[in-house]
Amino acid sequence: MTAALFELAGIHRRFALGETTVHALRGVDLSIARGESVAIWGPSGSGKSTLLNLLGLIDAPDQGTLRFCGQDVRSLPDDALADCRNRSIGFVFQTFNLVPVLTALENVMLPLQIQGQGDSAAAARGRDWLDRVGLASFAAFRPDKLSGGQRQRVAIARALVTSPMLVLADEPTANLDSANSSAVIDLMRQLSAETGVTCVFSTHDPRLLEHVPRHVRLVDGRIEDGHPEARP
Amino acid sequence: MKTLKLGIRNLRRNFRRSLTTALSIAFGFAAVALFSGYTREVYRGLTEQAVHGELIGHLSLARRGMKLEGRLHPERYLLGPEEIGKISEIVRRRFPAARVVPRLALSGLASNGRVSTIFLADGVGAEDMKALRGPRSDSGALSADAPQGVAMARGLAALLGLKDGDDASLLVSTLHGQANAADATVLHAYSTGNAGLEDKAVFMPLAMAQSLYDAPGRADHLTILLPSIALSGSARTELASAFAAAGLDLEISTWQELSAFYRQVKGMFDMIFGFILAIVLTIVVMSVTNAMGMSVVERTREIGTLRAIGLRRAGVVKLFVTEALLLVLLGCAAGLLLTLLVRTGVNAAGISYTPPNGSGRVALRVGLDAGRMLFTFIVLGALGLGAALFPARRAARRPVTESLAHV
Repeated sequence: MTAALFELAGIHRRFALGETTVHALRGVDLSIARGESVAIWGPSGSGKSTLLNLLGLIDAPDQGTLRFCGQDVRSLPDDALADCRNRSIGFVFQTFNLVPVLTALENVMLPLQIQGQGDSAAAARGRDWLDRVGLASFAAFRPDKLSGGQRQRVAIARALVTSPMLVLADEPTANLDSANSSAVIDLMRQLSAETGVTCVFSTHDPRLLEHVPRHVRLVDGRIEDGHPEARP
Repeated sequence: MKTLKLGIRNLRRNFRRSLTTALSIAFGFAAVALFSGYTREVYRGLTEQAVHGELIGHLSLARRGMKLEGRLHPERYLLGPEEIGKISEIVRRRFPAARVVPRLALSGLASNGRVSTIFLADGVGAEDMKALRGPRSDSGALSADAPQGVAMARGLAALLGLKDGDDASLLVSTLHGQANAADATVLHAYSTGNAGLEDKAVFMPLAMAQSLYDAPGRADHLTILLPSIALSGSARTELASAFAAAGLDLEISTWQELSAFYRQVKGMFDMIFGFILAIVLTIVVMSVTNAMGMSVVERTREIGTLRAIGLRRAGVVKLFVTEALLLVLLGCAAGLLLTLLVRTGVNAAGISYTPPNGSGRVALRVGLDAGRMLFTFIVLGALGLGAALFPARRAARRPVTESLAHV
């Protein structure tokens, strides 16, 4: 096993919801190695999305230590976190979250342009990734002209275009029909194998779970004790 | 990231809202630009009226105290031939193209032999008057060939039933308080452009005025016509030092200081301009704030996505500020076009009106005040930026997870 990409120790996360406080994560300890594929699963409200947000560095724990590549991310200022997300983490959202006024290619180019890459270099790389997800001929299409499966493939290309260390996919097949779900799962497996990128999924989808070697089950904000985690 | 491209596409995406906002900016800009263009023409007309119509020239020189004490003790305050010569030399040494015009004002009774009425006369040389008249040289002209020829305000001529070529008698009190009279020929009846002077004003040759007043070679003030009106302020400063160095105790006034009407009208129009600008700016700020506020709310999830994939907070702010500036730019461009169209229409329509205190109708003309238009554009840009900044900063500071969860 390679060195840990993520190390979480004693993570707590609470949210104020009106008068009450929701304790979304209650002392989570988790280590994710480089190149691993991990599925975080559990019932609704178990804290899957909260955990994914923490791993994606778009949220911070109230308590506990969160190390990404050995660095305590709580000490990083907002701009450094944004840069870290841009270079090291790719996101695949349940609702695709493509920018509606940009074409498929422009959406894929976006993370590279945020890095400051020139148009031609970003476009070449974007085209390459659109080709790899099978959408080369849809480069000029805007998201509203694409099917759900095609949008998710564009989102996958956008997530991988910066060659990140980690791809986080929050219920990536939840809004897709079974055919598109299978296609997206196959694509992610293939790309994960090709690139060696660490993949963390949150999912309810048993078909996705089948293809992910390690499962982390969350129940009431805790990693369920005694749950057999299949490891590679 | 291509902020400009994103901005343009987002504006096109919300076409109706963008159009409404840009139109409100366009109408506001056009209102300010047209009004400032109109006031520019009014100021130009008033300047010409003051400098050439009222013959104020660019600068006026008199012995210090002339304005307050001069009427009571004219003997002490009139300038003599030697002083006039000395002053002229100093002026011409610094401004060779300047013209120094001796003037002598007097008042008395004008009569047609049957009835009399008061008049206010200004004695000035015929050639000097022509120079002072400038573009209005045909109005109220004197003639060097007619030493007793006067130009009379139209109202005064009408009051006395005089036509061009008729004779009149002028009765005045001399410098020493004695009565003196002279015959005069009405060369020309002219419009003063000022209702208050229309039934009183008379121009007469300087020599005739000096003779009537029994003050040969003397003047109560000197009018200076500079090569350019723009030199008025600096010339006053320069000449004041030169006169003081030469031991001349003189008061120098610029044409703006002497033309109370110009100052009052300009003051009023400047205040109206400020009022209109304030209304326009308020509308624009509300319009842009509303457009940007709605855009930010609608695109909250998009902002969350952009932040998640690495866009910094400043990048989000830049995105919305760019959109706001684009709206202002589009609005001002449309406003400029509207201004040019309306201006062309108004100027071609040949509309005329009688201004307050005016003695005749003047054409309603709309000019182009590039300075004020640029000022308005910059202020609109700054306010548009400010109006976008608040919602954009709020959106950028919102937690990414909240933005992504926004429905």
